[in-house]
Amino acid sequence: MSAARLFAWAGLAALAWLARGLVLPIFLAAALAYLLSPALVWADTLAIRRSVAVGALFTVIIAALVIAGFLLGPGMFAEGAALMDRMPGLARQIDTGLDAVVRELGESAPAIRRLLPEGGHWVQRFVLDRGPSEPGDLFEHAGHLFLLAILIPFFAFFLLRDMHRLIAVAMDRLPPQHVETSVAVWRELNGVIGRYIRGVVLDGLVVGALAALGLWLVRVPYPLLLGVFAGLANVVPFVGPLLSAAAAGLVVVLTPGQGLAGVGRVVALFLVIKVLDDTIIQPFTIGRSVHLHPALLLGSVVVGSHALGVLGMIIAVPVATVLQETVRLLLEHRRVLARRVRRRDPERVVA
Amino acid sequence: MFEQPLPRWLGWAADPEQARRTPFLAQSPLFAGLPRRLLARLATRFFEKVYHADDVVFEEGDPGRALFVVVEGSVEITRATTQGPYVLNTLGPGDAFGELALIDDFPRSARARVATAGRLLILYKSDFDALIEGNARIAVVVMRNLSRLLALYARRNPLAPEVGPGSEAAGPL
Repeated sequence: MSAARLFAWAGLAALAWLARGLVLPIFLAAALAYLLSPALVWADTLAIRRSVAVGALFTVIIAALVIAGFLLGPGMFAEGAALMDRMPGLARQIDTGLDAVVRELGESAPAIRRLLPEGGHWVQRFVLDRGPSEPGDLFEHAGHLFLLAILIPFFAFFLLRDMHRLIAVAMDRLPPQHVETSVAVWRELNGVIGRYIRGVVLDGLVVGALAALGLWLVRVPYPLLLGVFAGLANVVPFVGPLLSAAAAGLVVVLTPGQGLAGVGRVVALFLVIKVLDDTIIQPFTIGRSVHLHPALLLGSVVVGSHALGVLGMIIAVPVATVLQETVRLLLEHRRVLARRVRRRDPERVVA
Repeated sequence: MFEQPLPRWLGWAADPEQARRTPFLAQSPLFAGLPRRLLARLATRFFEKVYHADDVVFEEGDPGRALFVVVEGSVEITRATTQGPYVLNTLGPGDAFGELALIDDFPRSARARVATAGRLLILYKSDFDALIEGNARIAVVVMRNLSRLLALYARRNPLAPEVGPGSEAAGPL
């Protein structure tokens, strides 16, 4: 490798390192672009210019968000404000409840007493201490969120508008003879990722709506907030539904008058939602986009969690699916090439 | 209802490339009989690529994964024989080749080489499959046209003789 090329690669690597902060917004923007791309395919059938279609789409989305804000915002804001008002009392209740559980465990099984964490100030230690401690940190976190809220739609806009041009450039760079196979592999993977992302979002919306409705029916406080949480958490396989059920259960435990019957209702509700999700909703939403063996699915989530935390758990399934599909396509390619050898030289293969 | 051309007052928003593609595909025998709205949907799934003279689109025996339609230029279809490469056909604008890739994943039965520089439209099997899932009529019309082309080829070559000088023009690839 020549020195100039080495320098160029080193420069590119340095640039990539400096721009590593953009990986998350670009990844989320790509997911948003996948989510919105069917609308642009429809615009293409009308022969509408891409820039006009993307502009109109973003205008419609902003209008929909404003309307949703007007309709759902006051209710969610009121629930959030009520929750914040109760927060100091809730923290004390959680601390007392968890202290009692640890004490009971220690008394009933002295052998494991050493393994139990020390009691007291649970919320302070496990929630507040892990969040931003200084007002400056809080501003930094808010700044990051604000930047994400700006960068994600910004990148998604340009991905949607210019992706076909980028593809055309990439296709022109590829050797003509390899265009068919390499782009075919990319098209298949693109289809799988697109169907998965759209399926997961639709699934989250349905599950969130069902959870909010169900929680409202069984008279659990903050049904809208808990429904939104259930929809968002549903993106994380296995752990998400457990987390949303646990959050609703915790709210019930801390609500006077709900008691164990309330917990039972919440558990039954989330079990019904999970069964509905697995048997009816997911086959319609995610459908055939994911063909992972359950063991591989669980393994990928664990590996993703170890590597990148919550983000790793979210991207584990699509990444594992893409890897599996790539291996399948490569094996298929080899099989077809072997067929070509047999056709050209049957005697050699037989021998 | 929806896939009608844009009204004149919205002409400023029209994409000339997409607007040109639909009537162009309507001329291809493979897509004959498809209503305009389905052709417009099909047209969005094509990729366009510029090829130079002598570029090889695919070799005989390569895995077939896409259908090609000549927009500009010409493509020569050849098959290897004991006497060397034999030209089966030379295709021009509007002609399609590689159409059997939409049916199976068997290797290509001939070689496609660009004779005169131009542009090709490429439709990948995965995109075609995704499209026909919700539009069975596209599958019916395209497969019927493809069956006609195959029947025509079979009638011209009833005993499917070895390809070589004196045999008929190329059938579907």
